[in-house]
Amino acid sequence: MTSALLTRIAAEHAAALAAQHPGPRTLAHRRNALQSLLARGLPSGRDENWRYANLRALEKANFTPATSAAEPRPEQLPAAIEGFARLVFVDGWYAPQLSAAPGDIGAATLTRLEDELPTHGQAFALLNEAFGGDGADIRVEASDAPVDLEVLFYSASPAAAYPRLRVRVAPNAQLRLIERHVGCVAAAQFINSAVRIEVADGATCRHYRLQETGMATTWTDTLRASVARDASYHLHLLQVGALAARTSVDIELAGPAAQTRIDTVSLADGQQVHDNMIVVDHQAAHTQTQENFRGIAAGRARIAFNGLIIVRDSAHHADSAQSLKGLLAGQDAEIDLRPQLEIHTDEVRCSHGATTGKLDDTMLFYLLTRGIERETAQRLLKWAFITDVVANIDVPALRTHIQRSLASRMQDAQSLEELLS
Amino acid sequence: MLMIEDLHVSVGTTAVLKGLNLTVPTGEVHAIMGPNGSGKSTLSYVLAGRPGYQVTAGKVTYDGQDLLALAPEERARRGVFLGFQYPVEIPGVNNVYLLKAALNAMRKQRGLPEVDAFEFLGLVRDKMKLMQMPETFLSRGVNEGFSGGEKKRNEILQMLVLEPTLAILDETDSGLDIDALKVVASGVKSLRGPTRSIVLVTHYQRLLDHIVPDRVHVLAGGRILRSGDHTLAHELERRGYDWVISEAA
Repeated sequence: MTSALLTRIAAEHAAALAAQHPGPRTLAHRRNALQSLLARGLPSGRDENWRYANLRALEKANFTPATSAAEPRPEQLPAAIEGFARLVFVDGWYAPQLSAAPGDIGAATLTRLEDELPTHGQAFALLNEAFGGDGADIRVEASDAPVDLEVLFYSASPAAAYPRLRVRVAPNAQLRLIERHVGCVAAAQFINSAVRIEVADGATCRHYRLQETGMATTWTDTLRASVARDASYHLHLLQVGALAARTSVDIELAGPAAQTRIDTVSLADGQQVHDNMIVVDHQAAHTQTQENFRGIAAGRARIAFNGLIIVRDSAHHADSAQSLKGLLAGQDAEIDLRPQLEIHTDEVRCSHGATTGKLDDTMLFYLLTRGIERETAQRLLKWAFITDVVANIDVPALRTHIQRSLASRMQDAQSLEELLS
Repeated sequence: MLMIEDLHVSVGTTAVLKGLNLTVPTGEVHAIMGPNGSGKSTLSYVLAGRPGYQVTAGKVTYDGQDLLALAPEERARRGVFLGFQYPVEIPGVNNVYLLKAALNAMRKQRGLPEVDAFEFLGLVRDKMKLMQMPETFLSRGVNEGFSGGEKKRNEILQMLVLEPTLAILDETDSGLDIDALKVVASGVKSLRGPTRSIVLVTHYQRLLDHIVPDRVHVLAGGRILRSGDHTLAHELERRGYDWVISEAA
C-alpha cells in the first residue's frame, strides 16, 4: 500500500480529531493507534492473506467520520426484530433516543466503550482504534431469561463510520446478538468495524452479523472472539452489501470443550468483491469447530473464503469440519475457496470439503421438464444452494428478514413468497 | 399423437438411435422394451429435450407440432411429461413448491388462472393418498433422502398432479418391490384414458401385467425391430431378445 495513502490517512486523522467532539475515548489512545498503524503500514495484495481483497478501493475512500450524529426518525430505520432490545448507533454515534432504555435489556448492561479493543497489530483494527469515537460495551450476566439484543449501526450520511463493539458474556450466561450494519446511502462510504466478543465458561453466544451496507461501500472489519471452557459461540455471517468487503474473523477456542460454529452466506453481483478470512484457533482439548460457507457470485463479482483451522499441540481430540461451497452464476464471476489446516498434534479429527461449480445441469433439466421457466428454475436452484445454511438461523423473524434480504438481492422476491408460504 | 420418423441421435461421437420409427396414437399405451444399451433412455431424454443429445436426422411431431424445436419447459407445458429413471434430488426446493410452480406453469399455458391454495392442497392430498405417500413428503426437499421406491412414487405423483397428455415413463418399475410396483401401476392406470398417450420404457414384463399395453415395441441397436400386441411382452420374457435381433438381421 502506498505511503501516499498513509499520509492522507494521517492528515484526515489530525483534522478529524480537531473537529470532532471527543466522545468517550481519549485522544491519546487514538493518536497512539494511528502511530502504530503508520509504523505497521496497510496490508497489500502481495500478502497471501489479502490477495483476494480489493484493497485498491481504499485509494478512493474518505476516512473522515461524521462529527456528530444525524437524527433519523425511527421510521427511517429498518424494522426491528421482534423480541430483541435495540441499541442504535447513527454515523458511529450512540443514539439513546432511538435505543431501548437501559432498564429494558434484561440481564445485560450497556455502557459507552471507552477502552481500547485488542488489535493484535492488525491494520484495520488499528485504523478503527484511531478513528472510532464511540461504541457499545455490553455485559451479559447469567439469568433464567437469555438476552436478545440487536445493535444497529446505521449510516445517515456518507461520512466514514467506525463501529465499535465489545461484548462480554459472563459464565453460564446466554446471549443472542444481532449486529446489523445498514447503509442508507448510495454514495461511496468507508465503514471499518471492530468487534470483540468474550464468551466465558459455560456461556453461549449466538451472533448474527448482517452486513447490508450500500452497494458503493468499502467495508472492512475485524472480529475477535474468545471462547472459554464449555462455552459455545455460533456466528452467522451474512454478506450481501458493499462494493468491496473484507471480513477478518479470529476465534480462539481457549478453554476445554469450547465450541464454535460459523455459518456464512455471501452473495455478490456486478463488480462486488467479498473477501472473508476466518481463523479458528483450537488451543484446548476437545474443542470443536463447524464451518459452513455458501457463496454465489454473479456478474463479474469475486468471492473468496479463506478458512484456516489451527490445532495447537494442547488441543487433543479437537474436532473440526469445514463445508465450503461456491456457485458461479456469471460468466466472469470468480470464487476462491481455501480450507486450510495447521495441525500440531495427533488425535484430532479434521474434515474439509470445498467445491465451486455452476448450477447443476441435471437439476436444471429436471425442473424444466416440469414446465418451470428457465429463469425461475435457475433462481430456485440458487436459492436452494444457500438455504441449508440460512435454515440454521433459529430466530424465525430474523430468518425471514434474512431470506427477504437475500431474495431481494437475487431479484427473487416473488418466488420467495411462494417458498415461505 | 406422437410420431417419430427415421430418428437418428448421437451422444458425443456415438450414434445411439439409428433410424427409429414409432407412432403412438392418442389414447394408447405403448411399451418399449429392449436390452441394455439399446437406446431406450436416449429416446426418453430426446423426447423431453435433454441437452447433450444431438438429433442428426429425422423428425418428431406431437399433435402435428415439431417437438424437437421446443425447449424442454415448452414441451412440458404442452403436455409432455418425463418420468425419470433416476429422479433428481434437489435439496432446498420443497416438493410442494415444485408441484405448485409446475401446475401453475401448465395452467398458464392452458389459459387458466393460478390454482387456489386450498384447492391445490386438496388435489395434492388426494393424489398422495393414491400413491400411498405420507403428507410429510410435501415439506421435504424434492426427492431429498427418498428411497428408490419413494422417488418413483414421487414421479408418478407429479404426473398425476400435472395430468400430461403424453407421459414417457423411463423404467419407472425398476427398483420397486411388488407392493410399490402395484401402487405405481395403479397411479399410471388412473391416468389412462382416451385423451392421453403413455409410453412405458421398461426392461421387464412385470409392469405390463398390471398395465396391459395396446402395443409393445422392441428397441435394439437404436431401431424398433419388432412391434406387436401385449402378448409380445410375454414372448420376450420367455425367449429373451436375441431371436428378435437375429430375425431382424
